Amino acid sequence: MTARDAILSAIRAAAVPAAPPAHLPPTPTAPIDDLCDAFLRVLTEVGGQGVVRTDGQPMDSLIAELLGPDRQHAIVVRGRFAVAENAAVYVDAADLSARNDIVRAEHLVVIVPFSAIVPTMHEAMRLMPAHSACGWFLSGPSKTADIEQSLVFGAQGSRTHRVVFDRGT
Amino acid sequence: MSALAAPAVHRGHAEAAAGFLVDAARAAWHDQSLWFMRQKRDRGTALPEWESLRLAGSALKAHAMSRLADLLEEFERRAIANGVVVHWARDVAEHNAIVLGILHTAGVTRVSKSKSMLTEECGLNPFLEARGIEVVDTDLGERIVQLAKEPPSHIVIPAIHWKREEIGALFHRTMGTPAGEMSPDALAAAARVHLRDALMHAGAGITGANALVAETGGVVVCTNEGNADLGMHSAPIHIACVGLEKIIATRDDLGVLLRLLARSGTGQPVTAYTTHVASPRPGAAMHVVLVDNGRTKRLADKAMRTALHCIRCGACLNTCPVYRRSGGYSYGHVIQGPIGAILAPAVNLDAHHELPFASTLCGSCADVCPVRIDIPAQLLAWRARSAAAGMLPRGYSTIFPLLGWVLSRLSRFECAARWARRVQRLIPASWLSGRWNPWTRPGRTLPVIADESFREWARREEGRS
Repeated sequence: MTARDAILSAIRAAAVPAAPPAHLPPTPTAPIDDLCDAFLRVLTEVGGQGVVRTDGQPMDSLIAELLGPDRQHAIVVRGRFAVAENAAVYVDAADLSARNDIVRAEHLVVIVPFSAIVPTMHEAMRLMPAHSACGWFLSGPSKTADIEQSLVFGAQGSRTHRVVFDRGT
Repeated sequence: MSALAAPAVHRGHAEAAAGFLVDAARAAWHDQSLWFMRQKRDRGTALPEWESLRLAGSALKAHAMSRLADLLEEFERRAIANGVVVHWARDVAEHNAIVLGILHTAGVTRVSKSKSMLTEECGLNPFLEARGIEVVDTDLGERIVQLAKEPPSHIVIPAIHWKREEIGALFHRTMGTPAGEMSPDALAAAARVHLRDALMHAGAGITGANALVAETGGVVVCTNEGNADLGMHSAPIHIACVGLEKIIATRDDLGVLLRLLARSGTGQPVTAYTTHVASPRPGAAMHVVLVDNGRTKRLADKAMRTALHCIRCGACLNTCPVYRRSGGYSYGHVIQGPIGAILAPAVNLDAHHELPFASTLCGSCADVCPVRIDIPAQLLAWRARSAAAGMLPRGYSTIFPLLGWVLSRLSRFECAARWARRVQRLIPASWLSGRWNPWTRPGRTLPVIADESFREWARREEGRS
């Protein structure tokens, strides 16, 4: 008997009684501006920085201004949507030239459509592409607290993490 | 070596904990470090829907366990369709042989590894190192304990027992940081350079997984440092080593799990990096090793089954008054704290029969558990099994039957309590708190038993009215 068959038959022999799927708590809803405010507040708490681009601001100059001297070692990527409760932005590997861009970059900028902010991870899960090869929820820069629980940003991935909500037309 | 080095031979929890407590200042520091984590967890979980999320977490795990074989087959089918190689391992030997086989076939001699309690369980590092393969643990805390040749003392914060000046000395010796350097920023910066080199040049990146999603065939890995991503997306081969209980049914379930995990562990709303990887990048290979190693046996054990629901957040360790005051190494098991105390006896009751007694049964672990595992109930059940197997810790086997006899009849209890009150008055307090009494220490004496019991007081009050 292969290991696979032995394991599967041991599981079936355990005869665990049926248990229903989880019932998800009801999802709170909120106006998009409130979601954006919540996102930006949490983003600051997790060590990131966020701005909203409005009509008339060219994206390039906004990013250049946002990055300042960090521009030299920055990678700008597209995010599909954002999650207000935890300041996570979803980035899919299909939008990157290399998967490790998101961690290799010293400074990361993620541009997300303003209209694509959802309240919690429940809605976020439904927005994930159905057949994504690889995707990330990124919330703030790389960090560690492994040395006496002192929070240090830029542990191994990006040192800084910036999110631009694109509200322009 | 840190002052709290893991003993080579485990001595039993009580004895090891006594050793830990010899350095009272350090034990107090450890206690406070963990309590700080617990407080962060309390702030992080202050959501109106927290309790309904925990119910959903418990339900999604129970559901997954009830359909475990189907979900694993579904995961395997999708993963294979996504170009992933899926392996099955019954035990440690099979797991380690599979990993070694993948590395040998590809001629890999250097691997990076992100945090994985499963590979700790399997002793993968020493196994590979003995066969000439260099393994670099890349989570900063794990790298610290690896450089010190110690196992992790906490499942989420492996080097929680290390002080910054000790890490400074370790890095000075191993990475050449300036002598006396102990600022966390400077030490983490040195580690960044050291670890990036290992991550970018490894022939394979090994990771664990926080979840496998049957619906997508995806492997989910959560880190704050980003080391798992640097490893798996830079090396030509990614190997995810996963206990088969990590499977969940759907992405909806993943949403619940991700909302619970980091909040419970560190109080963060989510980890900095949450990776859902379903297929290898072009030109690279991805392997998933599904490991049983006692899990199916656990599944068949009705009373203890729900221990498999654990998502390894560490909340029960951080809150446990015994873990905080005895340290991870006193458990002598790869998973420490309350959850370790119910997992370890299933692995080897003879070796770990003392662990279910390393608890006050205060219930705090069950209160903070994001998937509502009734840890105290299982601690009690394991105590009963140790007793049935004749393995009660020294002293317990005489005291417990006597105590049971006294406590099982109200008249005996009241009589015993009456005599205890009389006798205590006759014995000098200094003797009662003497060295013979394990319940007392300098600064901690036995409380004086009241002159009358509550029942006596109530009867007297009733008679008066």
